[in-house]
Amino acid sequence: MKKQLVHIKGTKEGLVLRLDDQCAYAELVEELERKVSEGSIDGTVDVQLHLGNRYISKDQQQQLVDIVQYTGSMHVAKMHSDVITIEESREKLLTSQSETFVGIVRSGQVLESSGDIIVIGDVNPNGKIEAVGNIFVLGNLKGIVHAGIEGNRDAVIVASHFEPTHVLIADQIEVMSNESPFVKNHVEQLFAYLNTDGIISYERLQEVRKIRPLLSTVKGGS
Amino acid sequence: MGEAIVITSGKGGVGKTTTTANLGTALALQGKKVCLVDTDIGLRNLDLVLGLDNRIIYDLVDVIEGRCKVHQALVRDKRVEEKLFLLPAAQTTDKNAVTPEQMKSLIDELKREYDYVLIDCPAGIEQGYKNAVAGADRAIVVTTPEISAIRDADRIIGLLEKEDIEPPKLIINRIRKELMNNDETMDINQITLHLSIDLLGIIIDNEEVITSSNKGEPIVMNPNNKASLGYRNIARRILGESVPLMTIEGEQKGMFKKLISIFSK
Repeated sequence: MKKQLVHIKGTKEGLVLRLDDQCAYAELVEELERKVSEGSIDGTVDVQLHLGNRYISKDQQQQLVDIVQYTGSMHVAKMHSDVITIEESREKLLTSQSETFVGIVRSGQVLESSGDIIVIGDVNPNGKIEAVGNIFVLGNLKGIVHAGIEGNRDAVIVASHFEPTHVLIADQIEVMSNESPFVKNHVEQLFAYLNTDGIISYERLQEVRKIRPLLSTVKGGS
Repeated sequence: MGEAIVITSGKGGVGKTTTTANLGTALALQGKKVCLVDTDIGLRNLDLVLGLDNRIIYDLVDVIEGRCKVHQALVRDKRVEEKLFLLPAAQTTDKNAVTPEQMKSLIDELKREYDYVLIDCPAGIEQGYKNAVAGADRAIVVTTPEISAIRDADRIIGLLEKEDIEPPKLIINRIRKELMNNDETMDINQITLHLSIDLLGIIIDNEEVITSSNKGEPIVMNPNNKASLGYRNIARRILGESVPLMTIEGEQKGMFKKLISIFSK
């Protein structure tokens, strides 16, 4: 008997389609089209696609989704592949890395980072830091800071002297001229984050461990 | 081989030209051969501050475009014996008449003959600034205690740090001691920490600086003036001496006034 290229399995969350990762893509598409049109399901059901060790492009992903959803009775909830390209992995690595900048971000200068950034020095008024991840300033922060510039709402901004003019996290912006009395009275060792309501809030930096415990990346130790 | 120092500030009106004229004169009085170059093409006024305006024949653009030799365009200051020369800016054209490369070769030529070439930079960060910085080995940033001047100084320091020159040094000009002592302006320490570059010297605000500039005579020619002393100190620091920073305290209080101030607390 010919080897089955598409395994269908029922689970509590819906159907799981396990697609063979060794055969040719064209064969897989052909069999998937047949299998999907065979079944008769009442209502709609959520489907997960498991691709195994097969890498597929964005176009191919869309093609598979279209095939599965063609009958209208199945909805692709999730697509899972065990492989990513080297480029994607490099990007992921970059966003999880932290860069260190030694110097002063002066008026008119923009410091960009594709991950976290640590500034050893000051950020002067009109100087700007833009980071995909978190921002840590071991000096006077008096400029503009934008953490989570690609939309990471968990990003935080930490400074030993916290006196920025503008604070931006993901899509939120706060102009510090109408700053809260808390920030005005506690400029030393402060951090900014988005609270559960999505509003920029400030807290003593010692509270980071409670509010963003996942920030910790320590390895080993006891 | 001499040294070229550009004097810049970002903001206008903080005293670049006055500083250039006075530092140049002070260095010449110390026996160095100095050439001042006005790069504010189209808005020249270094010649006025030095009182040399009616002796200009050729200017910087004439030299660069080959209409005359460098030594023909240089104006000699008779007050300082064979030590101080000025290369005036052109008044009829604008800053785009010169490129940074042309400027660099001109400054390099002057450096061969003079101990110090002081370049008076125009305000702003455009073509004029780029021309002025092109030939420099060192930079002096002039600011006043006003936040607008400090902000622009910060910007210009950021730009200078990207150039291939020594870290810039700071002069704080026009210090008003009563405002500074009352915390109405940032004090010297705060400004230096904020800009985090080395402080070369301070100049205390003084009306005589203006009146003497109007007469075409730099204030350093008058040895009994606080601002003049500030410029002379800076000149000595440029020459490598270590001179303590002058205090900005007001006049020494007498014993009687001291007693009054103690009891009035």
